[in-house]
This record gives sequence, C-alpha cells and structure tokens, in this order.
Amino acid sequence: MNPQALMDGLVAGSMIGLGAVGVTLTYSILRFANFAHGEFISWGAYFALVVAGALGMLFGGLATPIGPFSFGWALVLATLVAVALNGGLALLVDALLFGRLRSSRSSVIIMVMASFGAALTLRSLLEFIFTSQPLYFSKALQIAMPLGFGIRATPDQLLSLGVAAALVVAVHLLLSRTAIGRAMRAVSENPQLAGVAGVEVRRVVRIVWLLGAALACIAGVSAGLIVQIRPQMGHDLLLPLFAAAILGGIGSVPGAMVAGLVVGLAEAFAVQLVGAEWRAAIAFVILVLVLLLRPQGLFGRVE
Amino acid sequence: MAGAASTVLSTEALVAGYERDLPIVRGVDFRVASGELVLILGPNGAGKSTFVKAIAGLVPVHSGKASLGGADITDVPAHEKIRHGLAFVPQTENIFATLSIHDNLLLAADILPKEKRSERIAALYAMFPDLAGRPSRRAGALSGGQRQMLAVARALIVEPSVLILDEPSAGLSPKIVSEVFARLKEINAKGVTIVLVEQNVKAALAIADRAVILVEGKVAHEGTAAGLADDPLVGELYLGARRHATVAP
Repeated sequence: MNPQALMDGLVAGSMIGLGAVGVTLTYSILRFANFAHGEFISWGAYFALVVAGALGMLFGGLATPIGPFSFGWALVLATLVAVALNGGLALLVDALLFGRLRSSRSSVIIMVMASFGAALTLRSLLEFIFTSQPLYFSKALQIAMPLGFGIRATPDQLLSLGVAAALVVAVHLLLSRTAIGRAMRAVSENPQLAGVAGVEVRRVVRIVWLLGAALACIAGVSAGLIVQIRPQMGHDLLLPLFAAAILGGIGSVPGAMVAGLVVGLAEAFAVQLVGAEWRAAIAFVILVLVLLLRPQGLFGRVE
Repeated sequence: MAGAASTVLSTEALVAGYERDLPIVRGVDFRVASGELVLILGPNGAGKSTFVKAIAGLVPVHSGKASLGGADITDVPAHEKIRHGLAFVPQTENIFATLSIHDNLLLAADILPKEKRSERIAALYAMFPDLAGRPSRRAGALSGGQRQMLAVARALIVEPSVLILDEPSAGLSPKIVSEVFARLKEINAKGVTIVLVEQNVKAALAIADRAVILVEGKVAHEGTAAGLADDPLVGELYLGARRHATVAP
C-alpha cells in the first residue's frame, strides 16, 4: 500500500473536519441538519477567488507567491474578506429562510427540506455566475517535498493541515473557555433555559452561523488551493462532512475534526484497495456503520 | 403583608397561553409585596406553571400586564428579565446537565460586571457548600436535591429582587423537599421575594406568607398561608370536588 495515502488522507480529512465542525455546531445549536453547509464551502472559495483576483489586479505585488507557497498575500487578505462575506451570506440565508421558519416553529423536517432548497439555489447561483468550469487560485506547479517513509507533501498541503489544526484548537478553546462558548453550549442543551439564564439565544444563533460559515470558507480556500474550485466542490464534500460530524459525536468540535481525519484517511486508503470510483461510497459506509453501531459517535454521550 | 410593603411584582388581568384562541391563564390579578414568600396553588391544569412562565417570558401574553418594581415587563424578552431582577427556576430541566457545576454558575454570572462575578460565585458556593466540593463535576451527575440547589444558586447569582420557582419539590424525596424548602425560607429571610408554585401543599404552606389558589386559569381564592392551611376548601380544590362551584363566572 502506498504510504502517500496517509498524507492525502490527512489533507482531505482536515478539509472535511473543518466543514464537519460547522455542521456539528449548526446541528447541535440550530437543531437541524443543514444540507446547505457544503455550499458555504463553495461560496467561501469563490469569494476568496474574486477578492484575490481583484487585489492582484489592483496591487500586482500582492499576487507574488510567499516563500514556498503557491499564493501571494492577495489570497491571505482575500481569505479574511471572504470569511466576512461568507458570514454575511450565512446570515442572509438565515434571515430570508431559516429564521422565518424558526419563528413559525417549523418542524425539523421542514428545516432540512429548506436547507436542500437553499443548497440548490446557492449552487445554481455559482454555476450561473462562474459556469461549472474549474478555476484555480494559482496554476503554479508545486513540487512535493519528501517527508520520509515515502511520504511527500507540498507546502500548501502542510499549511492547510496546520491551519485546520490551529482553527480546531481555537474553536475548542472558544467553546470551553469563553462566555460565548458557554452560551453556545447552554443553547445547544436547552435554549429556553439558556434564555431564562440571561443568554440572548438569537445572538448565539447569529454567532453559530458566522462561525460555521468562517470555517467553511477556510475549508473551501484549502480545497481550492490544493485541488480546484468548482460549484460542486462543497456538494461533493457533503456526505463526508455529515459522516464526520456524526462519527465525531454531534456537538463535539474535537470529535468532528478527528472524525474528519478518519473519514479522509479511510477514503484515501480505500481508494487504493477498491479504486477511486468507490471513494464516495466510503463516507456512506462509515455513516451507516456509525449509526448502527455507535449512534452517539466517538465523542458523543448517550442521551 | 402585601398591603404593608411595596408591591414588587404584579399582574393585571393577565391572559396567556401557547395559542391565542386557547388561553390557559384567563385574567389573573396578582400582587406580591417586597420580601414576601407567596405560594401559588391549584389543581392540575389550573394554569399555575403557565402563569409563572408567562411572567418569565416563556409563554406568550395575549393581554393584560406584568410589572416588576413598577416597570412594565410584559413584553420584555425572557433573557432580559433576569437583568430586570426577575429570576425563574423551571420545574424540570432547570440546570445545564452537560456543563460543569461551575460553568452553570459562570453562565448566569456572565451578565454581571467582570469584577463582580467571582465574588458572587464564591458567595453562592458559601450558601450551597454541597456544590463547592467539586465545581468541575458535570451537573448531570448531581442528585435531585443537588440539582435543585444548583438551579436556585444559578438563579440567585444576579441577586434578583424576585425569585420564581416552579414546583421545586417535584420528584424529590420528602427529606430532600424539607431541605429545599428550609433553604428557600432562608433565602427569603435574606430579603429575596419568592413566588413558589407547588403541589406539595402542606410543606409549602408551612414556609409561605400568603397563598393564591388558581383554578381554570383564574384566581379562585387567596389568603394567608396560616389561614389556608386550616381551610377545608384547599383540600377540596385539590381533590377537584368543588372546582366549578368556586370559580367566578
């Protein structure tokens, strides 16, 4: 078996993990499976692409690659702007759709169906604006560095892994050590009691959207940097995202990340055994197995 | 007592319920004087819990008014009421079971100024030593009595002027109920006005100053706790034998 699958799995898993953290937060606090979450990954990547392109055109020097990486400061700055834009998009979708459904006390199944509709709309909009042709942050060819044991990785891949790890630690600390994290955990458990305790639930909901969209944006930028940018990119990640969120235990941020890596590694190794055409089936098999054998996931508690 | 001290909490013709065309609370006038411990009694389905939840902002108020310290709080959202000095302890699921004891208290303290939080949490640990032993313990692992104490402690963090409790004795053994009620009496003696919804009539009347009896969403009777303890009507109301006869049309 090719040991390179380890690195490929970790890189893919870090993107799945970041997306799964957003899914798990949305699921545990807003209490529905948001099937539009994958589209926030795609939109985040496209936001960054457009802003980076604009910055590159205005300030040519910003497009010059930084050190060993394939991108310049334009993409770094664009990612920060894209995080804000993606957060705005998530709030807009909530204001136009999910917030209205919450106000009318719609059932979970209505929310889930609405998220399917939102996903289709968001994806179609991307295809309408950018077509379905793949786009790239950079077409520069990166040479993978040998890391030992027959494993190689590009600087972009290593950076992507590092950023994902740092973000998961940051989100974990936010949830466990800060007032807003406590409020999020409280709303996740009992929104009515959280309100009585002085937590403004609507503010927490807004923060969850912003946080989920920000993480999705970073995952999208990573995926765009390492693979390519397509309107379908988020949709293709949807099943692995949910497999990771459920495997990690709904509500567990470290669980979602670890499970994301597990799903990524399982996909990478399975591809070597059964062929790339079965890649999508791996996440589905993991999802079914977890639901059958340990529905609370690796880090979840039995209710 | 209500007449002697200033009114801290009141409702006027309060109509509330989950559906507008199906009110559960049907025009309740209610007054609590500062420092009182007032009991709300009534048979099952009388609207006791709905009434206090409506005051706390958890059930829609369709008409009428609720006031706290003279200010209209009818339309104040639930999360703002604690800032006005109204604390509410629900009957069930009144703690965050997945959070630690300390995080339960910190969550409630987060609305206080930073410099006051540690001081208030220390004061609550002193008041409830059972909670102080292992503050990092998951609240869900606490016993029924300890959970009630944590719920009360959480509510008291902000030093509310009025504390409303919905059946704090539910599911507790008689011994624990006595401890909980004794603790509530202590808290009341320190100046916190308490409104208590209870099914455990005998034990609750023993600590209350006054009691109000709700039947079918309306005030059917009220009086001093001592007077009601000897009133045969109380027993009859609880048995439901004379419910319809006692309610004003």
